[in-house]
Amino acid sequence: MNNQPSANKFWAWFNPMGRQVGGWAFILNRITALGLTFYLFLHLIVLNQLAQGPAAYGGFIALTENPIVKLGELLVVAAAIMHGLNGIRIIFTSFGIGVTRQKELFYGFMVVALVAILFFAARMYMG
Amino acid sequence: MTEKWNITLRVSRQKDTENQHFDDFKMEVNPDEYVLDAVERVWAFMDRTLCYRHACHHSTCGACGMRVNGVEKLTCITPIRAVTSNGATLKVEPLRNFPVVSDLAVDMGAFYRKMEVVSARAVLPITEAEIENPATNWPQNDAQFLRLSDCLECGLCISACPVAATSPEYLGPAPLAAAQDVGIHRNPELLGIVDCEDGVWRCHSAFECTAVCPSFVDPARRIMALRTQVIGAKLGKLFGKA
Amino acid sequence: MTTPTTFKPVSAPRPGENSTLWLIKIATGPVLVLVLILHFTVNHYLGSMSSGLMTYDDVIQYFQNPIIPAIEILFLITVVSHCLIGLRGIILDLNPSRSVLNITTWALVILGVSSVVYGIWLALTIASKSV
Repeated sequence: MNNQPSANKFWAWFNPMGRQVGGWAFILNRITALGLTFYLFLHLIVLNQLAQGPAAYGGFIALTENPIVKLGELLVVAAAIMHGLNGIRIIFTSFGIGVTRQKELFYGFMVVALVAILFFAARMYMG
Repeated sequence: MTEKWNITLRVSRQKDTENQHFDDFKMEVNPDEYVLDAVERVWAFMDRTLCYRHACHHSTCGACGMRVNGVEKLTCITPIRAVTSNGATLKVEPLRNFPVVSDLAVDMGAFYRKMEVVSARAVLPITEAEIENPATNWPQNDAQFLRLSDCLECGLCISACPVAATSPEYLGPAPLAAAQDVGIHRNPELLGIVDCEDGVWRCHSAFECTAVCPSFVDPARRIMALRTQVIGAKLGKLFGKA
Repeated sequence: MTTPTTFKPVSAPRPGENSTLWLIKIATGPVLVLVLILHFTVNHYLGSMSSGLMTYDDVIQYFQNPIIPAIEILFLITVVSHCLIGLRGIILDLNPSRSVLNITTWALVILGVSSVVYGIWLALTIASKSV
């Protein structure tokens, strides 16, 4: 037989088709979780440059002027903001606060996230 | 005069070892009929081999859950008008996360076992029914009257839950909601059943269960309330009030 | 009719699998939000580079205040715990066997502890440098 739950169906976590607001929030949270986990360890390894002195760190930090690296940095900031705000929504609802208003909470937090992301993007790109 | 629409019903087919494929059936419908009526029309007039589950036709038995255009619906109360338009195609598929027995019929056995494990109540005193008046409005002696539980055991919530897609052992929304309805205070054994890796902490708050529930269970809210029950019961034990 | 003996028990309690990890994840979340506000503001906004990032001198200067390495170490411990508990939750959703789950748990504990040890060493090394 088929169609039963299976680990091979992990792609279903990320499929937005046939999902609704809460499902999209779940997808966003899971993607940002995986992305931020990967970034955290990359970040820790790269920061070793600080221990090696100004030349090593200076050479590395100059890479952030590259537009693609800069976009990556913005994506990390955006992912952390969205994951953090959505996490607060999950904490609220987990303790019964706004549980019947979870859609509105999600939209509200994502508006806040957008403003915060634009705030950092403006600093990164416009000085 | 009755309004008539021409639609194409695209039905998921799968027998024995076949791979899933779709058969199209063109038909005239009244858009105020229900999706289940269109499925039955296929069986009655076009293809007697079509297999699907149904019984009551009035959202009590919970047998006719299917995915309609990708979203879980109880087909006996889903008007055709609400899910398609004149001249369009309407796709019906079996529920996700349950083994397909044949075509649109799925095996709900594992789900029913989970409902049994949490001692889900089929009926409850009318004074405890959340959909009715608040409990405080009922005269106490009305507790003798029973009503059916809100949960139809239709499985739509299990089908919509992204965690249930990969985790056959996870209790899932309806059984966790049923555990909340029973309450750890009434049945302390529930604590071990829900406070474990297959239980209440596996929910990742996608709220898809509540979005598709055709009744008034609101499983996501009940899962959250169950977490509070679990933490309360554990704190109670910790401070010797068990 | 009796229940077939081939049926596995449904949702049996297991040692160590309870609310604890979830509660740690929930408790570390708000701490991370607060520390991240500080972290992003300082590291991605107030830095003297044109993009708002910090130069080497900025970082050394910033770490001269002893509260900063303390905050960064708190940040490190909470973020690594939150992250690895979350990752274990995702792996749990892949329905691993008991032995795979045990190996995964230990691998994540070792990864977490070594990351924290390395991170503390790094923070103290930076704090010990002078401008």
